[in-house]
Amino acid sequence: MTLALALLAGGLFSAGTWLLLQRRLTQIIIGLGLLGHGANLVLLLAGGSPGAPPLVGEATPDPAVTADPLPQALALTAIVITFGITAFLLSLAYRSWVLTRDDEVEDDLEDRYIARRGYRDDELSDEQAAQLEREREEAGQ
Amino acid sequence: MQRSVILDVGARVLFHSVLAGSLFLLFAGHNRPGGGFIGGLVAAGGFGLRYLAGGVSDLRSASRFHPWTFLSTGLFLAVGTSTAALFLGGQVLESGKIEMDLPLLGHLKATSALPFDIGVYLVVVGLMLMALDALGEEADQGEHIEETAT
Amino acid sequence: MLLALILLHMLLAAVAPFVGRRWGRATLLFCGIAPLATVVWAATRMEGVVGGAAETSSLPWIPDLGLSIDLRMDAFALLMVALVAGIGVLVFVYAYAYFGDRTDLGKFAGTLVAFAGAMLGLVLADNLLALYLFWELTSVTSYLLIGFEDRKPAARAAALQALFITGVGGLAMLGGFVILGGQAGTFQMSALLSDPPAGTLTNFALVLVLLGALTKSAQVPFHSWLPGAMAAPTPVSAYLHSATMVKAGVYLIARFAPAFAEAPVWRPVAITAGLATMLIGGLRAMRQHDLKLLLAHGTTSQLGFLIVLLGLGLPEATMAGCVMLLAHGFFKASLFMVVGIVDHQAHTRDFRRLDRLGMSSPWRPTMAVTAVAAASMAGVPLLFGFIAKESAYEALVHGGTGGADRWILAGVVVGSMLTFAYSGRLIRGLVSPASAREDTVSAAPAPKRLFLGPAVVLAAISILLGVLPGLLSDFVSAAAGSLDPSAEPVHLALWHGFGTALWLSVATLAVGGLLVVGWKRVEAGQSLTPSWLPSADAGYLDVLKGINRLADRTVAVFQSGSLPAYIGTILFTLMALPGYILVRDTELPELPPVASSATQLVVAVLVFGAAVGAARVTQRIHAVLFLGAVGYGMALLFVLHGAPDLALTQVLIETLSVAIFVLVLRRLPASAARSPWRLGQLVRGAFAVGTGLFVTVFALVASAARTEDPISTGFLERALPEGGGRNVVNVILVDFRGIDTVGEITVLAVAAVGIVSLARAARDAIVGRPEGEDS
Repeated sequence: MTLALALLAGGLFSAGTWLLLQRRLTQIIIGLGLLGHGANLVLLLAGGSPGAPPLVGEATPDPAVTADPLPQALALTAIVITFGITAFLLSLAYRSWVLTRDDEVEDDLEDRYIARRGYRDDELSDEQAAQLEREREEAGQ
Repeated sequence: MQRSVILDVGARVLFHSVLAGSLFLLFAGHNRPGGGFIGGLVAAGGFGLRYLAGGVSDLRSASRFHPWTFLSTGLFLAVGTSTAALFLGGQVLESGKIEMDLPLLGHLKATSALPFDIGVYLVVVGLMLMALDALGEEADQGEHIEETAT
Repeated sequence: MLLALILLHMLLAAVAPFVGRRWGRATLLFCGIAPLATVVWAATRMEGVVGGAAETSSLPWIPDLGLSIDLRMDAFALLMVALVAGIGVLVFVYAYAYFGDRTDLGKFAGTLVAFAGAMLGLVLADNLLALYLFWELTSVTSYLLIGFEDRKPAARAAALQALFITGVGGLAMLGGFVILGGQAGTFQMSALLSDPPAGTLTNFALVLVLLGALTKSAQVPFHSWLPGAMAAPTPVSAYLHSATMVKAGVYLIARFAPAFAEAPVWRPVAITAGLATMLIGGLRAMRQHDLKLLLAHGTTSQLGFLIVLLGLGLPEATMAGCVMLLAHGFFKASLFMVVGIVDHQAHTRDFRRLDRLGMSSPWRPTMAVTAVAAASMAGVPLLFGFIAKESAYEALVHGGTGGADRWILAGVVVGSMLTFAYSGRLIRGLVSPASAREDTVSAAPAPKRLFLGPAVVLAAISILLGVLPGLLSDFVSAAAGSLDPSAEPVHLALWHGFGTALWLSVATLAVGGLLVVGWKRVEAGQSLTPSWLPSADAGYLDVLKGINRLADRTVAVFQSGSLPAYIGTILFTLMALPGYILVRDTELPELPPVASSATQLVVAVLVFGAAVGAARVTQRIHAVLFLGAVGYGMALLFVLHGAPDLALTQVLIETLSVAIFVLVLRRLPASAARSPWRLGQLVRGAFAVGTGLFVTVFALVASAARTEDPISTGFLERALPEGGGRNVVNVILVDFRGIDTVGEITVLAVAAVGIVSLARAARDAIVGRPEGEDS
């Protein structure tokens, strides 16, 4: 654990967050990659001090001078997962390019519409129709 | 599309040694740095080399199987190994060891972790192959269309 | 056996839709097997159960939650089973005659038998949670039954209203059950009721339970769903209003009242609601022209009566409530059946259009049945309804609640007068000349025997038990006794001698008779009701509107459709909640050394520089290269940390990532124009700095907070002997934490499939859009 690494983790998260909040998919993907690096670093930092690689030789390695293997295993899977996600997002960007010639993530129009106008509710119109019918019947004839 | 002969031949030569290296990393991974992930990534790099040299067609000729065959076989192997212990009366992923002394071969040792790691290896290779095949092919076709259009 | 009967219902429900296509309406008779079997079995067990030996069966379900399907049939449950299954059989027969051959009757029969099974389970369940399960099952199946004519908006609205109101009540009830179970330490109903908890929390729970029961039994102010529920086909209404669904709430109150009536919240809530419902329902019934609607309002009124009797928790009233429960089931089911017959034959239920239909000679048998059932409802002597009303008066005259006795009695008497009045209104509507000018019906084909049969059976029972009530003495005594052990056995008789109760009965008949004579004036008087009085219908509509508005607002705020807004929300939560706690609860540890080696410091600075570069450059490919640089730098840091596997993986991944990035980026425009530096970018910057700060502080605190030995120490020791490998990281991946790895490669596989499908969709778009290739 050193101050430099803690600051670096924060820096990676800052840069990643900044990109994540942009509107271009490629920027978001790169931001996600930076966030991934930052997260791996935090994992490793939380796992204690550096040491010898966790390899078993003739004798069981001394935990005091060996790096903790568990955060390493976690980080290793995290790295590979990030790769899979990156590839997936890139194909999304590719599809976005095919459809719009751009990779900008636009606002969802339907969500916007609902936010402005509200959602048309069938149950409400059913109930109004039913009550109207009832009133007409009671008053009727 | 122009193909560089040097790159082409170089890639073919390198490809096999890269694959061999990846297999070494895979099998050695239990005892020294390496393993299914790392081995798979090295092999994926080898396939990437073939793609760079010869495009999707060369990539396809590099392996007899479809990309998704790698993926599904790997997944099946990993899940199968991890659940096999259940049927043998153990817990999920309980590692089994077979040790026996055979007259000619001597002392033989295998753990169930190995097929599991092979599964991981295959999944990683399959992922990379599928990504190259899917994203690379479009680009090639697109270029092809562009070329004929101009 | 109890469980087998419920399962039989469910089994038939599952089969019915399939056989329905071939058998048509015969499916209804087929499904009637289940309630029939229940009746037969219950009859064989009657002697033992009335003698005090309850039938039980138990099936452990989720033992850890104390959840088991405990079924228990004591005498009161037997009474309910008799109603549910007995009337159920008749309803299935009636429905068989009611429907013509329709293709969707299989679905209908299946839902109806599932509903009957759920109701059966409800009255047999001895575990509160199991009871809740069956309770909600009746809500859901009744939703399907009420909305059976799903092309009519009125039916859909009525179905939803029933589900909504009873569902909300059911959830409240579940909350009450959980609290009660926690207070008593058991969810078994018989155990809980024999040793009831008390206290503030219990009172709160009781209010919740009452809320469930009162919504289910359509008590004021939750009564609006019941008149709406008559949008269902009449066989369903007959079943729903007489023996099931609404009786569930009454059942629950009957079970709980003896144990909890003394709790300060119980009687004020239950009795007030019951009395108000009895009066309002009676008044509302007096102005209906639709025969079925008249009966529906009558049902709410009668339910109020039942809630009063059984909610008092006094032994005598409980006894009267049991009698009333039976009487109401018999007369209300037969009345609904008769009204259904009229509707079916004359194609109208509006008695203003019926021109002396009941007086025509082919309709005489139907009319006789109607008269008997209505008279029983009105409480005319020699009919079962009279016996019930007499014992109710008797019990209320004796009282036992203190000061409220008189008011309760007065309310019930007035309510009974109204009951008499609307019973008379029903008969008068059928026999008097039409008041509408057009579309009147003066003749209609009389119903077939099978159609009328079930109603005849029920009317006959009303007469038999009205003349010879003594037949039921033991049964009813046992039922009341199983609710309240202090209930004295009674002898039901027609003649109780001169007493206050008798005079009250006479007064009821007299005043009720006057109201029938002056029915037009009563009706006219009601239209004077000021329009500003809140109506339950309008209230329900307002609630519905309010919920929808709330939903719209919520969506507008939380689902704005903007990705940065979503991510911003997540980051804000991260900084606001864990960040706040981090700052509040922890002290910053002593600062660690700046760097463990000069190399580390240099690499860290370079990586940081590359990250900033990736964030700031506008050329996409440059950003990717900077990202790659960060990755290689990270690999170096991993080597320095003692993690060779990580370093190797990182290097390989970076290489492959850049390759895939290039595949896609060569398509995209080279430069991503930078957004102008406006408020939005400032906010983004603030978020970025805030997140970074949070992570730095978190990393410092987390690594300093390590107090225990890491579990990986054990991994180091066990890697070789147990995992059979020397590379501990790899052993963790494939052995110790292997299940994580399985999950992870599954994610990879899913991502791979996603990539291929997205790329294929894109390729199809290119092929289908040749002009798109102009870039």
